[in-house]
Amino acid sequence: MSGVFLRARGLSWAVGSAVIVDRLDLAVDRGELVGVIGPNGAGKTTLLRLFAGVLTPTAGEVLLDDQEIAGMESRSRARRVSFMTQDISQVFPFTVMEILLMGRYPHLGRFQREGTEDLARARRMLSYVGLTAMEDRGFRGLSGGERQLALFAKALVQETDGLLLDEPSSSLDIHHEDRIFSMCQELAREGRAVIASVHNLSVAAHYCSRLVLLDRGRIACEGRPEQVLKSEILDRVYGVRTVVSPSLATGSLTVTVVPRDTGAAGTPVHLIGGAGSAVNLTRELYRLGCSLTGGIAHEYDSDEKLWRSLGIRCMMVGAFSRITDEQIREAAPLVEQADLTILCSFPVGQGNLGNLRLASLARRLVVVKPGPEEVPRTFFSQEGKTLFEQVCAGARVLDHDAIIAELEGIRDRPAVR
Amino acid sequence: MYPFHRQNASGVDRRGLLPHHDATVNKRHSLAFTVLSLLLAAAVLLAVGIGAVPVSPASLVRLLLVKLGVGTLTLPNERDITILLLLRFPRVVAAMLVGSSLAMCGVVMQGLFRNPMASPEILGLSAGGSLGAVIAITAGVASGSLLAIPALTIVGAMLAAACIYLLSSSRGTTSLLYIVIAGMAISSLFSGLTSALLLFSREYQVSQFIFWTMGGLDGRSWQHILFSAPVLIPGMIVLSFFARELNLFTLGEEEALSLGMRVETMKRVLLAIAAVVTGVAIAVSGPIGFVGLLIPHLLRFIVGPDHRALLPASALGGALFLVLCDLLGRALLPPFEIRVGIITAILGSPYLLSLIVRIQRRNAVGAK
Repeated sequence: MSGVFLRARGLSWAVGSAVIVDRLDLAVDRGELVGVIGPNGAGKTTLLRLFAGVLTPTAGEVLLDDQEIAGMESRSRARRVSFMTQDISQVFPFTVMEILLMGRYPHLGRFQREGTEDLARARRMLSYVGLTAMEDRGFRGLSGGERQLALFAKALVQETDGLLLDEPSSSLDIHHEDRIFSMCQELAREGRAVIASVHNLSVAAHYCSRLVLLDRGRIACEGRPEQVLKSEILDRVYGVRTVVSPSLATGSLTVTVVPRDTGAAGTPVHLIGGAGSAVNLTRELYRLGCSLTGGIAHEYDSDEKLWRSLGIRCMMVGAFSRITDEQIREAAPLVEQADLTILCSFPVGQGNLGNLRLASLARRLVVVKPGPEEVPRTFFSQEGKTLFEQVCAGARVLDHDAIIAELEGIRDRPAVR
Repeated sequence: MYPFHRQNASGVDRRGLLPHHDATVNKRHSLAFTVLSLLLAAAVLLAVGIGAVPVSPASLVRLLLVKLGVGTLTLPNERDITILLLLRFPRVVAAMLVGSSLAMCGVVMQGLFRNPMASPEILGLSAGGSLGAVIAITAGVASGSLLAIPALTIVGAMLAAACIYLLSSSRGTTSLLYIVIAGMAISSLFSGLTSALLLFSREYQVSQFIFWTMGGLDGRSWQHILFSAPVLIPGMIVLSFFARELNLFTLGEEEALSLGMRVETMKRVLLAIAAVVTGVAIAVSGPIGFVGLLIPHLLRFIVGPDHRALLPASALGGALFLVLCDLLGRALLPPFEIRVGIITAILGSPYLLSLIVRIQRRNAVGAK
């Protein structure tokens, strides 16, 4: 066959009538860092157990280098695949080094003691995970995070081509989480196959080369992070409303959950912004579930970029170009269908004068009163100032918080506060 | 950065070249083993010498040397030889064998179930063995063959072990208390059956029955050593072969499986051997409590939790403990003898209580 390192074929595991893993096909090769994601109870841990040979499939098979894992001698299997469970408990006072050396079990004969080589390897792994000075410390005295790192080191001491990690960062702080996943990336680059179940989708997106989304024992979606982490897929599997957007700092995808039912959910709101003045309100209103439209925005403006990343419908003109009457006509339906049009606080020049004209078409207009840390509303010409005063005539002027409060109260939902 | 291919030649990590961890651990272990052996030798000499008729250590050593064919010293008098060879020695050897066996089985139970409160008596193996013995006595087969009692104690202990195995396998993760309570249930079932048998037994059998509730070493002869040693000594040696497997058990069964250990087979093998060893030990002495619980704990403080050291150390410690307890029982109120089971219970129960309090406190803090 194809020489894939680990392969599941029609893999199933059931207990009684409950099917935990359901006819699953998956291939993972050396050099990959695969993140297994999915809601609680989707079968992530069971899948890893089956790959580790800890559970025997009720149907189908797991192949390790084209050899069925169930028929393999258990120690030779353990020299090729290691498994880090979520169990970090220990009742007896073993030292960290003693725990690490247990990872050599599949490599040693019955009456063979760990030699200098084994000890040196354990030490290297301990310093690799950043616990250099802890070898003689009691394992039980470590924090939860340190125990996870020590058990990760133990999995490395086992010296295998495949690493299966069940939520390896569940009790780690962000620093150690970054460390453990960076190490996983490094291990994958070195030619190992690493499969980790991960709950935090943004973490999974950032580090993994491939994601497998499980839903009730089946693969709902599989591929590169940007292929799997899509709101329409995640919403269905997790049963929540999510926002997927690239992180400004790293460019990798972040997934955020937004509430389903707020008083403002579905309310059509149009935002007129520019120069980043609409960013905060966009986020807030998006979180509330308003049905947002935006514009007219200049291309590459931070408002425009945010709207685009959130999939908000918006009108757009070229950067630094002047908004024409025709574009206003085109944008008019967006403003007219909105229950509320919000005119953000931005500097008005010749280029965006058209946005004030657009605002005058609104059914209900709210003018944002800029807070001390927001973009001030300045005018480069008398024309702009006059036009602004005309537009404002029939509108209310509210600050940021008042707008949110008004929207949340739109359907008079009793607030639990 | 990534260390798999890096050798320690650069001197970056010189500690890798000096296995100081192993060296200090080995030094501590050999010291512990030397001290334990010397203490055991001293306890044996003391136990052989002290009694209703004191025998001087000098005549003891003389006897030993002559028997070993070293030198041509004059033998001590005939009466001393009889007391030493037919009464004291077999009793001390029996104490050593039973003490080591129960202590080692305690270590095995605690490791196997990752549970510091496990031991042959807490998990019901002792009660099962006792039932077997009482059946042998009431059915009258005990007087027929000397091997009837050990055969039935083995069967009883195996039965209890099978119950514990089934109960522990029916749940994925076993909490500390679950297995202890299951053991208690098995224990009381077998004890209840033992008591029920008493109702149907004749008067002369009752005194034998008492032996099976208390445990004691009085009147143990070479015969008892002869049938038990060929089982107990190989049994203990085989148990010590599985020290590393016991280490892996403490990581949890899933981790042990992923490290390539055949957990279920190992569990069955270890439980079966422990049941045989416990059964035969009980056939010699009756059920002696607390040895299997207490000794592993005390020695874990001294040699650490690694079963490769803990198992042999517990064998020495268990032997030492039981020889001393038996000596105490004989020397405390002469001419009366306090049975060794009573002494171990009196010494052991406060320890059990303090153990429970300590485990409770640790769980309350949250560091399981």
